Amino acid sequence: MSSSRIGYLVLALLPLFALPKAAHAASKQEMVDLLKAVDDRQRNQGDWRSLIYMEQKEKGKVDVAYEALVFRRSQDQKFIILFTQPKASQGQGYLRIDKNLWFYDPSVGKWERRTERERIGGTNSRRSDFDESRLAEEYDPEDNGEAKLGAYTAQVMTLKGKPNIDLAFPVIKLWVDKTTKNVLKRQEFALSGRLLRTSYYPKWKKAYSESKKMDVWYPEEMRFYDEVEKANSTLILIKSVDMKPLEANLFTKAWLESKSR
Amino acid sequence: MRGYLDTLKVIVVIAFRNLFASRLKTLIVGGIILFGSMLVVVGTALVDSVDASMSRSIIGSVTGHIQVYNAKSADELAVMGNFQMEGADLEQIDDFKTMREALLKVPNVKTVVPMGLSGAMVPAGNSVDVVLEKLRDLVRRQQAGEDVKAAIPSQKDHVRQIVAVLATDMANVGKVLNDKAVAPEERAAIARATAPDFWDEFDQDPLGTLEFLENRIAPLASDADMLFLRYVGTDPAAFAKSFDRMKIVDGTTIPPGRRGFLFSKWMYEGQVKLKTAHRLDVIHDAILKRDKAIATDPDLQRLVKQNATEVKEIMLQLDSQQTDAFRAKLQKELASQESDVSKLLAEFFRVDDGNIIRRYKFFYDELAPSLTLYRVRVGDTLTIKAFTKSGYVQSRNLRVYGTFTFEGLEDSHLAGNLNLMDMVSFRELYGFATPERDREIQAIKAAAGLKEIDRDHAEAELFGAQPSEPESPAAVATVDDADAVLRGLAGKHRRERREDQAYDPAQLEQGVVLNAAVIVRDPRRIPQTMRDIEAAGTRAGLTLKAIDWQKASGLVGQFVTMIRYVLYISVLIIFAVALVVINNALVMTTLERIAEIGTLRAVGAQRRFLLGMLLVEALAVGGLFGGIGSALGAGIVAVLRIVGIPAVNDIFYFFFSGPRLHPGLSVANLAIALAIVLVVSGASSIYPGLIAMRVSPRQAMQSDE
Repeated sequence: MSSSRIGYLVLALLPLFALPKAAHAASKQEMVDLLKAVDDRQRNQGDWRSLIYMEQKEKGKVDVAYEALVFRRSQDQKFIILFTQPKASQGQGYLRIDKNLWFYDPSVGKWERRTERERIGGTNSRRSDFDESRLAEEYDPEDNGEAKLGAYTAQVMTLKGKPNIDLAFPVIKLWVDKTTKNVLKRQEFALSGRLLRTSYYPKWKKAYSESKKMDVWYPEEMRFYDEVEKANSTLILIKSVDMKPLEANLFTKAWLESKSR
Repeated sequence: MRGYLDTLKVIVVIAFRNLFASRLKTLIVGGIILFGSMLVVVGTALVDSVDASMSRSIIGSVTGHIQVYNAKSADELAVMGNFQMEGADLEQIDDFKTMREALLKVPNVKTVVPMGLSGAMVPAGNSVDVVLEKLRDLVRRQQAGEDVKAAIPSQKDHVRQIVAVLATDMANVGKVLNDKAVAPEERAAIARATAPDFWDEFDQDPLGTLEFLENRIAPLASDADMLFLRYVGTDPAAFAKSFDRMKIVDGTTIPPGRRGFLFSKWMYEGQVKLKTAHRLDVIHDAILKRDKAIATDPDLQRLVKQNATEVKEIMLQLDSQQTDAFRAKLQKELASQESDVSKLLAEFFRVDDGNIIRRYKFFYDELAPSLTLYRVRVGDTLTIKAFTKSGYVQSRNLRVYGTFTFEGLEDSHLAGNLNLMDMVSFRELYGFATPERDREIQAIKAAAGLKEIDRDHAEAELFGAQPSEPESPAAVATVDDADAVLRGLAGKHRRERREDQAYDPAQLEQGVVLNAAVIVRDPRRIPQTMRDIEAAGTRAGLTLKAIDWQKASGLVGQFVTMIRYVLYISVLIIFAVALVVINNALVMTTLERIAEIGTLRAVGAQRRFLLGMLLVEALAVGGLFGGIGSALGAGIVAVLRIVGIPAVNDIFYFFFSGPRLHPGLSVANLAIALAIVLVVSGASSIYPGLIAMRVSPRQAMQSDE
């Protein structure tokens, strides 16, 4: 084979190697855009207050059930969970300011510094499960193609945590509904690759936000199945939502203390 | 009769003649027997002594002779914890009073002490969190109208000094690495906190300033520590009376009817004390009490290095006046002109064998009085946070009344890792199930109205069908109902200083417990007493399980059993070898003496005569050398009894029930050794005896040919 023929052959084959690479780059950007869309649907760009129900089932133990209020503010990413039921937990709460997550117990009047891996109220839920979705800020996505999830067609992607961010789960595999861009399922992994939790988001609701001037979507029901202790599961229900502006000084230790003093 | 004696005399003469004729074989066989019997005497004496010492440690420190718990429990009770943080999963015993009354009817039961074992975390922020918490408390009290004007400036000054230390650290990191190693927001936070007008803002908006310091400055100190505590909840007075080795080291015992906590002294020193001070104690004690030297001991060198590099722990405790005072004292002591106190401290803690004694004294005389040596001091309030049996978080403030130890077990971590609290506080932290609590949870669940979905069918059930109208707007409920609850909260948990509230001491007798320690009158009757206790429980309508101290202590109690098995296996191997060697030696001797045996048979010796001859030979060797071996073993035990075997570490300290084991020798130890030797010797003569019995006079004549 002459050298000119080899040259033609290389030129002819080049697109075969080059094209998938270009397609892959586009796909990565699409994934980032999709992740931003997933976040954006859930953001209200203002204040948020919801009443939630939490239930934890563990093998050989009686069920744990709570009712709590969740307050959050998009502007500076502040966050509070205040337990209202049962009586023994009333007034206990979590407060997030900057990178600090605090736990307050009114029965002893003490604040305790916690991490993002804190199991809220001893259940298998984390602070991020109740907060605004910030997946695009916190993770880099990777395309895993499409998959059927029951009657739904989902875009599947693997999210890897960005450096220097304290995350409850460093790696997440995400199933996003192709039609609505709502999250349907998550598998959350440790850095070692061990599957820790599988989460389902079967019901989504929307509410109009004055601050956003459009609808905000939220998962009405979340079901977490523990993959380490297989018999354990957690159920979260967002019973009601209110997006009216909150008190200016609400996200402070003083406010949470004042609720039980 | 006379005939028998004459025959025996002949047998003995021939046997001893044979033994002397083959001296080498006799010595080899005898040597093995001597070693074996010596091992049996020394080994059984040591194991028996450790067993006795350990039983004193375990019975005297927490288990009592017998432990009793609910037979329906999922786990077995392990008082020493089986090296787990939490206690075993035990079913509760609903009424201690009923159980106690039932058990006291058993004749051998002297005392019944209520108990519960559990573990919890003591949340502790970093050094800055601790100081800011004190400042926040002062601000709260000031806002509540208390006069704390005098205390606030000093606490503020302390925080300013901390900010200065953190600023210096940040500058050093910038110099050593590069400026990018420090996050811009951290740099900005320090810049704001060191700005001249920052502390003026404090007086105008103390809570706002505190929030800034707690959220932006405190995270820069990374020395947060979590204390894990295992504790026994009990009736403090009954416990102290029943376990008479317990003694209070600091403070007092928990007064009757008061909520309180006693630290074990071992844990208090190791976990609660300022780490630098504790390491200095360890180095000092190793040199003074265990003849170690920093120059030759890598562990001590590591501790010295840690102390020299971790001076920030001390720096963060000092306000500006104390910093100046430390500078002056250290410059004088070290004859140094260095002005940086952290460098002076690093040099001070770089101790060697020559200056350790002087520096140790200087530290406690000159520096320690200005430091908080223990993060929780006797008289302070300790906050304990526990996950209750029902899964909820429960916290309690308990006053620390003092520290305690068990006499003779001061340095043992096995005896020292259990702390003590009153039973009423234990019950609250453990969160025993109550019908009211169950009803409340059921009501909350019913209001949610959600159904459980099995994980194996979750995807099919949750995503089996597309929602009919996915875009339909949902009705947005308000949270007014929750607001009502929130309003109801105000003042509900007004901080009652529960740690100062008294309770009726009768509550100790009447409530729920997890287990109980039983002290008996006659420890020799423990097995029968255990059966009696279970029967007494059944008669009282209780399902009780009784276990002895060894089982109750969990893995720790199995130690002696394990050592005993190792000893028995070693003895078995040695005597199996001895049996084979003696047997072979006697077989060889028998084969060499075929002609002689044949001749004896020809002159009328019966088969029994030949068997007896070999039996006497074997027993003579066994008896002689076994006796010598046993005597030597007894001598070794006697020497060890006088000298004592030192406990090389804290585990042996517990097993020896003190710093040295002084083993004792019993007649049983000697009898067992001699019995084993004689049985093995006798057994090893059987096969050669059978060979000898088969020899006929004709064989003797044929061998001559």
